[in-house]
Amino acid sequence: MLPDFASVIPESKEDALAYLSSLKSAKIFAGGTDLLVKMRRGESYSHIVDITGIHDLKVISDHDEMINIGALSTHYEISVNQIISEKALSLAQACGWVGSPAIRNMGTIGGNLVNASPAADSLAPLLIHDADVVLESKDGTRRMRLEDFILAPYKTDIQPHEILTFITIKGLPGYREGYKRVTKRAAWAISRLSIAWAIQEKGGFYKDVKLAIGSCTPMPFRPRKVEDSLKDRAKDEKTIQVAVGEIIDEIIKVSGMRPSFVYKIPVVKALLEDILKG
Amino acid sequence: MKKIDFTLNGKQTILDVEDNETLLHALREKLDIKSVKEGCSIGECGACTVLIDNEPHYSCLTLASKVSGHDVKTVEFLGDENLLHPLQEAFITYGAVQCGYCTPGMLLAAYSLLLKNEHPTDTDIKEAISGNLCRCTGYIQIVEAIRNAAGLCKCNS
Ligand code: FES
Ligand code: FES
Repeated sequence: MLPDFASVIPESKEDALAYLSSLKSAKIFAGGTDLLVKMRRGESYSHIVDITGIHDLKVISDHDEMINIGALSTHYEISVNQIISEKALSLAQACGWVGSPAIRNMGTIGGNLVNASPAADSLAPLLIHDADVVLESKDGTRRMRLEDFILAPYKTDIQPHEILTFITIKGLPGYREGYKRVTKRAAWAISRLSIAWAIQEKGGFYKDVKLAIGSCTPMPFRPRKVEDSLKDRAKDEKTIQVAVGEIIDEIIKVSGMRPSFVYKIPVVKALLEDILKG
Repeated sequence: MKKIDFTLNGKQTILDVEDNETLLHALREKLDIKSVKEGCSIGECGACTVLIDNEPHYSCLTLASKVSGHDVKTVEFLGDENLLHPLQEAFITYGAVQCGYCTPGMLLAAYSLLLKNEHPTDTDIKEAISGNLCRCTGYIQIVEAIRNAAGLCKCNS
């Protein structure tokens, strides 16, 4: 049995925010895939605000180049969504790799971000799409960059009365884009090491290169110096070798040398070469 | 306490559930559907799989209060001892059942796959049952059973 709690099931965002501001120690319930596991392990809350009935938070829409993803979109919904597949393919791919089919049907992207597991598949793709999160409470709305929202593994800047309502990303139509991860087992594995990329090329030159590397470091990161230096560079063996070398240096700088790097680094290196070669 | 109104195996069902009650508990203890098994209780084994709106969900991590207004299917929906579903027949033919603990969940995961994909590849099949553990068969017989049933059943008719 789960620990005792009382739940409310609001149908609108406004009702949910009102409940959150009036209830003490209320916990937001979305997909349940993390929260109920934690409860089984002994975490308890007097009140649960089950927000899964709020339809507005399940919608994925686009407006010019911006894509608005309702925080209650499940991994499955994102993985098969047309807008995401066309303008943010790496995110669709990453969401299609999360957990098992049941977990993808249950778990939501918002819940995933609020839990801030450093191994979450969605993080690296979201970073290359310059994701912002929208946080709403009864007192107002604030928006912040995903990189600033996640403070440390399993720790975010969300405040007690807030709901993460939307994630907005920049669509990158026409980019060569993808997501790869290295795990012990293909399906049903928590990501160990992952790379998301979106690359725009023209006539043998790199125009725009975006990379995010996940799980190697406490938080996925963008090697921005390398990204900048690749702009308008000829796509040749030498450029690629130099860039890959610099990225590896940055990984080591960001995270310190770790025992697991003995096997991780060669894998990242080979992956990066493949990705840049395309 | 919440009153829920949902469709269970094609029948409208109204039930009182506790706020903290899982769908697994409600199905087994209140509706006496014992085909839904409890294995790990933390979303890793798939023994408790049910279909909600034809998609696999772990009932151990689903609050019963959440299924109000939705369609829930357990393995009873597929067939009974008098008339087995082609998937169930195939599981028997190909020796895909040993202790049987994983079987209801496996069948539902397979059924959900066939609803969406009438001709799945082995990769599709393995992916579809990747959230359902089997400690007995070694999976090969299960994949074979699903592959062979796929040709035989029009699941979505
Ligand atoms: S009992 Fe639900 S997944 Fe194991
Ligand atoms: S037949 Fe025993 S667990 Fe699958």
